[in-house]
Amino acid sequence: MGWEEKQVRGYPEFVQTAQRYHGRPIFALFCGDKDAEGRSWCPDCVTAEPVVRKELHNMPNESVFIYCLVGDRAHWKDPNNEFRKNLKLTAVPTLLKYGTPQKLVEEECFKAELVRMLFTED
Amino acid sequence: SVQVHKEDKPQKLLEMNGHTSAPHSYDYDLIVIGGGSGGLAAAKEAAKYEKKVMVLDFVTPTPLGNSWGLGGTCVNVGCIPKKLMHQAALLGQALKDSRKFGWQFTEEVGHSWMTMAESVQNYIGSLNWGYRVALREKKVTYENAYGEFVGPHTVKATNKRGVEKLYTAERFLIATGERPRYLNIPGDKEYCISSDDLFSLPYCPGKTLVVGASYVALECAGFLAGLGLEVTVMVRSILLRGFDQDIANKIGDYMEEHGINFIRGFVPIKIEQIEEGTPGRLKVIAKSTNGNQIIEGVYNTVLLAIGRDSCTRKIGLEKVGVKINEKTGKIPVNDEEQTNVPYIYAVGDILQDKLELTPVAIQAGRLLVKRLYAGGTTKCDYVNVPTTVFTPLEYGACGYSEETAVEKFGEENIEVYHSHFWPLEWTVPSRDNNKCYAKIICNIQDNERVIGFHVLGPNAGEITQGFAAAIKCGMTKEQLDSTIGIHPVCAEV
Repeated sequence: MGWEEKQVRGYPEFVQTAQRYHGRPIFALFCGDKDAEGRSWCPDCVTAEPVVRKELHNMPNESVFIYCLVGDRAHWKDPNNEFRKNLKLTAVPTLLKYGTPQKLVEEECFKAELVRMLFTED
Repeated sequence: SVQVHKEDKPQKLLEMNGHTSAPHSYDYDLIVIGGGSGGLAAAKEAAKYEKKVMVLDFVTPTPLGNSWGLGGTCVNVGCIPKKLMHQAALLGQALKDSRKFGWQFTEEVGHSWMTMAESVQNYIGSLNWGYRVALREKKVTYENAYGEFVGPHTVKATNKRGVEKLYTAERFLIATGERPRYLNIPGDKEYCISSDDLFSLPYCPGKTLVVGASYVALECAGFLAGLGLEVTVMVRSILLRGFDQDIANKIGDYMEEHGINFIRGFVPIKIEQIEEGTPGRLKVIAKSTNGNQIIEGVYNTVLLAIGRDSCTRKIGLEKVGVKINEKTGKIPVNDEEQTNVPYIYAVGDILQDKLELTPVAIQAGRLLVKRLYAGGTTKCDYVNVPTTVFTPLEYGACGYSEETAVEKFGEENIEVYHSHFWPLEWTVPSRDNNKCYAKIICNIQDNERVIGFHVLGPNAGEITQGFAAAIKCGMTKEQLDSTIGIHPVCAEV
C-alpha cells in the first residue's frame, strides 16, 4: 500500500489529521509557513524539506506523512502557541514519529542518515 | 592475580580456518559488547579519536517477556526510573507537609501508577533515542544484536530475527552488565517480577512483597510505600550487606516506623497463583532461616531483589580464553581493565572486586579508551567513590564504613564524630526530629584525615558529592572544622 502524505496548517488541523489515522505509523514534519513564492520564513526548514522528502520511501508500509505548517514567524515565536505547549516542539524544523519520543530537530533534519534511522527504527 | 601481556605488534594474526602468518585488517578497531553506561561511554570516546567502533546491544527479555532499548540497566531499569519514582514518592510526602506550610486543598490526594509509569517510560524512550542519534552522529555502528565470541578476534552477532553476522576487531570491550537473580523455587519465574519489570509495569503493583535486603530492594520498597501501597520486605539476614551496618539499621528502623512491614529471617520456598489478573493474587510460602517455622502470605505482586548475576557465561568467553571467576561470573582485570587475553578488556558491573556504579563504569570506559588511543596514562581511581542509596531516608556515603575502618586501622586508631540533626524543613510539619544523622570517620594516625563520610537525611546525594571531592583531596578533621557552614542547610552539620 505504501505511504501517503497529508498537508495541514495549524494545530487543530494537525491534531484532527493525526487522530484520523490512529493505528498507523504517523510521521510529521513541522515547518514555518511559506510565502506566495513557496519560500518558508524558516531557512533551516528550506534546507531540511528536500532531505526528508528524499527518505520518505523508507517509511514502513501504511505510514502517513503529515507535512504541517506551524504559522508565521510571530505565531511560532509566541511561547504559548499550541505546538510548543501541547506537542512540546522547541524548534522548526522538527521531524517526529507521532506518539513516541523519537524526533529530530533543526540541523539533525539535514542528515539523511538520521532521517532514515527515524523512519526505519522499530 | 592477572598477568599483563604486551600485545603483539605490529602484526595481527587471525588463526582461523588454517590461515597463518598473514597480516590482517579487521572490520573494526573496537567492538563493544553491551550498550550500557560503560559500553556507550567507551564507544563514544573511541569515536572521538576517529576509531572504527561497533556497539552490540541486546536485551534478552525477562521471564515475563519484558525488554527495553539502548542504554543499559541504569537508563532503562535502574538509576533513572528508580530516582524518578523515588521523587514521585517524595512529592507525595511534600504534599502532606504542605498543609502545615499553609497550602489548602480539600480533597485527599491520590496517586495514579499509570500516569507516573507512562511519564517515566516516555523519558526513558527519549534517552534511548538520544543514544541512537548520538552514536549515529559520531559514526559508531550500532546493532541491536546479541554478541558472543566465536574465535580469536571474532564475534557473532545475532539479531532478534535470528539472523547471524560475523565481525572481527583488533580489540574488544566486554560491558555486558548484570541481570536480576531468581530464587530457583517453584513459581518464581512465572509469577514474580524483578526490577527489570517493575518500572514499566502496565498496572499498579498493589500489595507488594519485596524479597531481599539490597539497596534495590529497600529503594523499591521505599518508593512503593511512599506512593501509598502496602509493602512488606522479606529479609534473609542483614540489611544492605557491604554498607555501614549502623546506618543500615537506622534506614530499616525508619522504614518500619513509616509503615513498611519487615519479615526478618525468612526466605520464600514456593510461590503460587491464587488468582490471575493485573495484578493478580499470589500466595507466598516462606521458611525460617533459623528452624522449621513456615509462614504464608498473600500479595498482589512479589518483587525479587536478591542480587544480580553477571552476563558473562553465555558470550563465548571460553572460546577466546577469557578467564572468569567460575563461582561469581565476574571477570578479573588488572588496573588497566585488561582481562587475561591482551586484546580483550572489560568495564562495569561485571568486574571482579570493583564497585557496581554507573559513574565508575563510565569513568573506567573513558580512561581506558584514552589510554588505548590517545596516549592517556590515567587509570581509573576506584577508591573513595561516593554513592547514595535512595531509600525514604536517603543515605550518602564516601570512603570507609565504620566496621571496615575498624578492621583496617584498628579501633583505637580511628575517631568517629557524629551527630543527629533535624532539617529545618521538617520542623514545621513536625516530622521526625531525631532520625537524620551524619558521621565522619577519621584516621588518628594520619592527621585525623577523614576516611569515611556518612549522611542520612534528605538530599543525601547532593550533600555527599562535595564531600567526596574533599576526601579525594585528603581533607583532615581540622580542615573540616575550619570550613564555615552554610546556614540553614543540612550539610552544615
